[in-house]
Amino acid sequence: MKKTILAASVATMLTSTVSAETIGVSMALFDDNFLTVLRNGMIDMADEMDGVDIQVEDAQNDVAKQLDQINNFVASGVDAIIVNPVDTSATLAMTAAAEAAGVPLVYVNRQPINVDSLPNNQAFVASNEIESGTLETFEICKNLRAAGKGGGARAYVMMGELSNQAAVQRTKDIEDVLAMDMCNFIEVVDQQTANWSRDEAQDLMTNWLSSGEPFDAVIANNDEMAIGAIQAMKAAGIDMGAVQVGGVDATADALAAMAAGDLDVTVFQNAAGQGSGALDAALKLAAGEEVDQKVYVPFELVIPANLGNYAN
Amino acid sequence: MSKSSHGIGGLTFDDKKKARAPEWNVFFALVLIVAIFEGLGAILMGQSLLFDTADRFDSIFNEARLKIIILQVSIIGIIALGATQVIILGGIDLSPGSIVGATAMIAMSFAQVAEINGMANPKLMFAGVSDLPVIVPIFIGILCGVVAGAINGALIAYTKIPPFIATLGMMVFARGVAKWWSKGQPISFPTDSYAALGKGMTPVFIFIALAILFHLILKYTVYGKHTYAIGSNEQASRMSGIKVERHKVLVYTIAGVLAALAAIVLSSKNLTAQAGMGIMYELDAIAMTVIGGVSLAGGRGSILGTVLGALIFGVIISGFTFLRLDAYYQEMVKGVIIVGAVVLDQYRQKRNAARM
Repeated sequence: MKKTILAASVATMLTSTVSAETIGVSMALFDDNFLTVLRNGMIDMADEMDGVDIQVEDAQNDVAKQLDQINNFVASGVDAIIVNPVDTSATLAMTAAAEAAGVPLVYVNRQPINVDSLPNNQAFVASNEIESGTLETFEICKNLRAAGKGGGARAYVMMGELSNQAAVQRTKDIEDVLAMDMCNFIEVVDQQTANWSRDEAQDLMTNWLSSGEPFDAVIANNDEMAIGAIQAMKAAGIDMGAVQVGGVDATADALAAMAAGDLDVTVFQNAAGQGSGALDAALKLAAGEEVDQKVYVPFELVIPANLGNYAN
Repeated sequence: MSKSSHGIGGLTFDDKKKARAPEWNVFFALVLIVAIFEGLGAILMGQSLLFDTADRFDSIFNEARLKIIILQVSIIGIIALGATQVIILGGIDLSPGSIVGATAMIAMSFAQVAEINGMANPKLMFAGVSDLPVIVPIFIGILCGVVAGAINGALIAYTKIPPFIATLGMMVFARGVAKWWSKGQPISFPTDSYAALGKGMTPVFIFIALAILFHLILKYTVYGKHTYAIGSNEQASRMSGIKVERHKVLVYTIAGVLAALAAIVLSSKNLTAQAGMGIMYELDAIAMTVIGGVSLAGGRGSILGTVLGALIFGVIISGFTFLRLDAYYQEMVKGVIIVGAVVLDQYRQKRNAARM
């Protein structure tokens, strides 16, 4: 889709920036691993550019505090604002505050409730959740075919918290891929929630194993559950070479499991890419340029073959 | 008054009138639930829950399922052993889940290896603090439980604030500690000796050993008699010379230590510690206790009942997965069973009281 927009726009930015720009950033919270990487992605990009000043504030997961920060940014006359919303249903007031002052606003990582009605000088930068479960499941489908199981294979599906949007979306992605002609040889034996938890996943997998059903793959909504499933299977003496296991997140633990030959597929959400993408969009809007209102930073498939690019 | 062998202060009432021990009712409930799952399994799945209908094992039982039924409740079961004592004492403890989170994080940060797959451990918490003997994280973990439990007990005994509030405070505080310790980052890759604590069926052996230990302690020691006495009638216990305050601190401290032990086993079993570990464990532990016939009014119940309550929990979880029941319905049914168990228990108590 917009795979090249980032690189291309960064290149033009580097040559076209002349005057100093000040960008205000309000992060939902600082003490979150993923959001910290995203924040650093913005800061690193700003450091490399001349004449870009960014001021990052911590909303400490407080909706009211975040709105105050935005109003403070407006009052101090920033050129654009980047918001990582605390609560995606509380963004109407933020959009209104920035719009009234004529300051461009970019939402990052979390989709605001008013994403389809944003004014022209506001945008949304994130990864498209539809990609993660799709990449994961399709890769497992290909691997099963390559293993000569194209005539029929059986998979268990582990879901995250049922109340969580990412879990619902990723599960739907799995179902959609398994409905494709190329992958409909895979039958889902059972799908249950393990609430994103490694411990619950271990117990769930062991319960599944106790039924003695044959299976060829475990498709999990995140890496933690995939690792739990792996631990349970190893405890039961199952040959990990004969089972495809997939997760999402590319956590350090998951990469170690992949290096050990246990995990077959995971998907990397580019936090730093989202950060720099948001800053890029904010700078363009501040310069009065056109920006797509939804900028999607692609998820990246991680498999043993390209593991080296991610293990650091 | 119940006619169990544990009356006030462990006294036994008129033997001739002695009713069936309440644990039998829990046991019958367990058998009934197994029978329901066996029946549904035969109709819906053409399989047995507990028996080896496909001839996969040497014995007549489905050994894998028997193992997981108890394994999956062992860790919360350890917490429930503490909850049993606190509830018999007439109190309540909402903090074990958070103590599990904090203890897992702290203990695991002293149990890490320096290298994984030949590369530096990407999750190493303290540079240079790695590959320590397993006794170090165990000792530090238990210390966390002692401190948290003693604070709970001291607040309840000496400031007289209700246990619900004191332990609610600890629940929030300890969860904060769990998040602060590594700024929300998971801590992974423990030493082999630490990993052995939760490997395979070890959690079950630890749970059973602790259950036997506390069963004997509650039944045959002064500590046990005082716990039942205070739970039955705090005023009378005080008048008869029991040091109620000191005893409360002791019971809550033991509950804290059991939560810490659960944390060590849990983080070992999963080879990781995460700030969100143990959320809601206290409520599952309380539910096991209550299903096992421990009265929230205090003074009544036993470790054996709680172990049976834990087994009911395990059978339900495995039974649901066995029947491939949709996840949405599982929680609904679980809620009904928790309330149903207590309603039945109340009814039985009233009936016994009427017969007296």
